[in-house]
Amino acid sequence: MNSIVKLECDRGLAVIRLEQDPPGPGLADRLAAICDELNYNTDIRAAVITGSGPVFCGDAATAHGAQAAFSLSTPVASLNCPVIAAINGDAIGIGLELALACDIRIAAGMAHFSLPEIEGGLIPFDGATQRLPRLVGRARAIELMLTGEVITADEALRIGLVSRVVPAEDVLNVALEMGREMAGKASWALRYCKEAVYKGLDRTLAQGLQLEGDLYFLLHTTEDRVEGVKSFKEKRKPEFKGK
Amino acid sequence: MEGFETIIFEKKGQLALITLNRPRVLNIYNVRMRDELYEVLSAIESDSDVHVAIIRGAGEKAFCAGADLSEFLSAPAPTFARHVRWHRDVWGLFLNLPQPVIGALHGYVFGSGIEMAMCCDIRIASEDAVFGLPEVALGFIPAAGATQTVPRAVGPGHALDLLLTGRRVGAQEALAMRLVNRVVPRNDLQVEAEKLAEKIAGYDQGAVRKLKQAVSRGLDLPVGSHP
Repeated sequence: MNSIVKLECDRGLAVIRLEQDPPGPGLADRLAAICDELNYNTDIRAAVITGSGPVFCGDAATAHGAQAAFSLSTPVASLNCPVIAAINGDAIGIGLELALACDIRIAAGMAHFSLPEIEGGLIPFDGATQRLPRLVGRARAIELMLTGEVITADEALRIGLVSRVVPAEDVLNVALEMGREMAGKASWALRYCKEAVYKGLDRTLAQGLQLEGDLYFLLHTTEDRVEGVKSFKEKRKPEFKGK
Repeated sequence: MEGFETIIFEKKGQLALITLNRPRVLNIYNVRMRDELYEVLSAIESDSDVHVAIIRGAGEKAFCAGADLSEFLSAPAPTFARHVRWHRDVWGLFLNLPQPVIGALHGYVFGSGIEMAMCCDIRIASEDAVFGLPEVALGFIPAAGATQTVPRAVGPGHALDLLLTGRRVGAQEALAMRLVNRVVPRNDLQVEAEKLAEKIAGYDQGAVRKLKQAVSRGLDLPVGSHP
């Protein structure tokens, strides 16, 4: 069971590696258990999700058909720490939907993206109909979903589906470097920042501003905020404790 | 508007010009600037002669390089600080101004600087502009709306890439992610901003104000006609 998804945690950074392609319900169960565990572990300050081999995460609809009623995006979207997708190869169907549930997407130059469900008489079933329009705008999102078109990493970058493209051999290292840097930051600020963005987008602007303000003043009670401001004044690197 | 320390407020025909004026400290935002900005914005809000406002930074180096951290940690208890935040809601006032506001952005546009820029309706950046949200690296989160205004402008992906990493982006990258509307040479920034403002100021002001309201309030509402 454990070999389907590998989890390694080092100095506040969790690295989740998907080792089954195409993904199935077993992988989804294991991923859900891992995300649950990470959410209870306040020592975890950032996570990287990556695939193994030539693909990031493949198309489950082709493999399992309409019966494939499992979700990879739900547990990942529930993670309260920042999540970086290291898209080492193609992200098709549910694989792309998984990437959409992450906060920052770094893609290999050779990676391809598509949501081909329509070709099998289906629609995306793991969140893309909601997350993709919110990410790249309604027009580009609906075009991708209605045509099943395959796009390159450069096109994905251009439309804002990923935030950077690097050579395939560097993807994981770039993501790990970003993850390690985040793991050195104030963990409650990272979590509250993410919470303010996502919850805020589901609310009116005025309600979102209220939420941001409440979370901001709650952070006034943390030692890390004091350390952050002090270190800036003293022109030294901050030492955050997650408190 | 006499006796201001941190802001210059001028009226030029139908335009209101707000200049953040602490150039020696890169126009960083402090409590005094908050209070003066509140006064200026209140005056603009109720002035029907002002058709369009422009906000810009004095000096060569920055629009606004963030908040004045020397005032941090001396603030009142979080309970009282929260009370003050909403008692004089300068950002709510800014975002709800009836007139269009144009941000003319140059040099450093960090933290509160980005947040002020995002309260504007149209953002013009000069080629030397650099953007960044360093709050998380300092152990807190933005508090002048960036977690809400930035994702609404550029989507959650680009927004979190800026917010969670604190990385800096130049004018061209800011344009590509639609953080700004256009990029112009440094020497043309003021002229371009005023040209645009004059153009909008020449239209029927009832229509201009209703248009701004339809867009900003409409984004909070469902469209309503669906399959």
